[in-house]
Amino acid sequence: MRNVGIVGVGHTKFGKSELPFIDMVCAAALEAMDDAGAKTGNKNVINQVFVGTMGAGMVSRISGIASAVVDTLNIRPAMAETIENGPASGASAIKLGYMAIASGMCDCVLVIGAEGMRAVSGWEGTDFVATMLHPESEYKYGLTLPAFAGLFTRLCMDQYGLESKDLSIVSVKNHANACKNPCAHIQAPVVLERITNKAYINATNPIVADPLRQYDMCPVSDGAAAVLLVAEDKKADLGFGDKKFVKIAGIGSATDTHVVANREVPSDLLAVRISAEMAYKMAGVGPDDIDVAELHDAFQILEIAESEEVGFFKRGEGHIAARNGETALTGKKPINTSGGLKAKGHPLGATGVSQVVELVRQLRGEAGERQIEGAKTGLAVNFGGFGNNVVSTVLTTK
Amino acid sequence: MEQMYAYQCTKCGKLHHPRYVVCQNPDCDGREFEKLPLDGKCKLLTWTRVYNLPEGYMCPWLNFGIVEFENGVRVTGQIGFDDEIVTGMELDATIGVVREKSILYKETVTAPQYGFIFQKA
Repeated sequence: MRNVGIVGVGHTKFGKSELPFIDMVCAAALEAMDDAGAKTGNKNVINQVFVGTMGAGMVSRISGIASAVVDTLNIRPAMAETIENGPASGASAIKLGYMAIASGMCDCVLVIGAEGMRAVSGWEGTDFVATMLHPESEYKYGLTLPAFAGLFTRLCMDQYGLESKDLSIVSVKNHANACKNPCAHIQAPVVLERITNKAYINATNPIVADPLRQYDMCPVSDGAAAVLLVAEDKKADLGFGDKKFVKIAGIGSATDTHVVANREVPSDLLAVRISAEMAYKMAGVGPDDIDVAELHDAFQILEIAESEEVGFFKRGEGHIAARNGETALTGKKPINTSGGLKAKGHPLGATGVSQVVELVRQLRGEAGERQIEGAKTGLAVNFGGFGNNVVSTVLTTK
Repeated sequence: MEQMYAYQCTKCGKLHHPRYVVCQNPDCDGREFEKLPLDGKCKLLTWTRVYNLPEGYMCPWLNFGIVEFENGVRVTGQIGFDDEIVTGMELDATIGVVREKSILYKETVTAPQYGFIFQKA
């Protein structure tokens, strides 16, 4: 199979976007194209554009966004498709870009992930995300994604002795990392004492979905991120000869039951485990080879559970590793150096691409104050539904 | 009041909830199901209290739980009381209105929807 890698990355500042949706998507795309030196018009070499988005049609009221982007960027007649896989739409779009090049059908693919979440009210946003749940046995009841995260967290607490404070520890770490990421939505440090002290916890960190509190979950953000993929054997011919090539070494994706209650072990994230194993196998690496990881922490419990399912720590010990600082920038297994979904933000369709952008910056040595020295191999886990469709990606410069 | 059901594969006997199109037993390919009333005694596996509810719920919070019936079927539903909710407790699965109205493409549909509401056993 052909080697496929990334030669350009772009990332808007997550948060409340002042730009119209298409402009925000194109801003990320142009930054990635400029980073790689890709041209428009007659000099365009991009064969295909994939835009990963969950709700461009439903929330931003713009369907067929990929077609609109190709025209707006003047890279016609490039092929264009909009990809939807819930909050894992971004990583799925990258997977399809990889497949398009590896198959030989394309040599250069532009992948963008984007979401405009702040165009609607909070409840409309929450309701839109909840439409991923099973319509008859979950959504109908008023259940939401935070509700499932609450149910899942209590199971983990009962089984593994995880405490509310452990979630706060992960949150504080990710907020600290986001302060070093200019693209992050929330760039404010959080003090552990302020969000855990029992005397005023209900004021500073109120319960949202018991036992989850406000600092145990991500904010609502707009944002877009983009990567330019090329075939290694065509890199020089296409004009990217002098660009650093970050290889997509492995991709895995897996599904699990739609109905969360019907999982054999409801406290497991089976699709995370299977997708990571697939990605490791394809890349010829294991968890010990990963220097830096971006794990999908829409809820802080997910960073902990995923860190176990991808093999960094034993099942039930992820929170202990977090307590010991092993997942901090200075730890032996840094997780969510970007600030994670918790503080960088989680514009659904953008997240999977954003995670890969962060890994590319780390592997190129361009991550500034949050740089992990000598990072050569990274793992991204993008989590769709409540874990019923997960995409894992391994990148390397080795 | 509407009834809730377990759906039993007529080929292998596996019980399901909700309804499926194909039997979920990996060694079976059944597509026919018999409806068996599902309610009554069950055990609470996990629960949450949610304060940020979708539109249409005129209450400050709702409690949700996942329960397991004695026949092994697990379902998610609302918990109909607020005090002393404890994982592992025995509950009585009743059936009631779980959503008064829903929004379908900007149109509010007011047909109430029925589902599980768990009460103290």
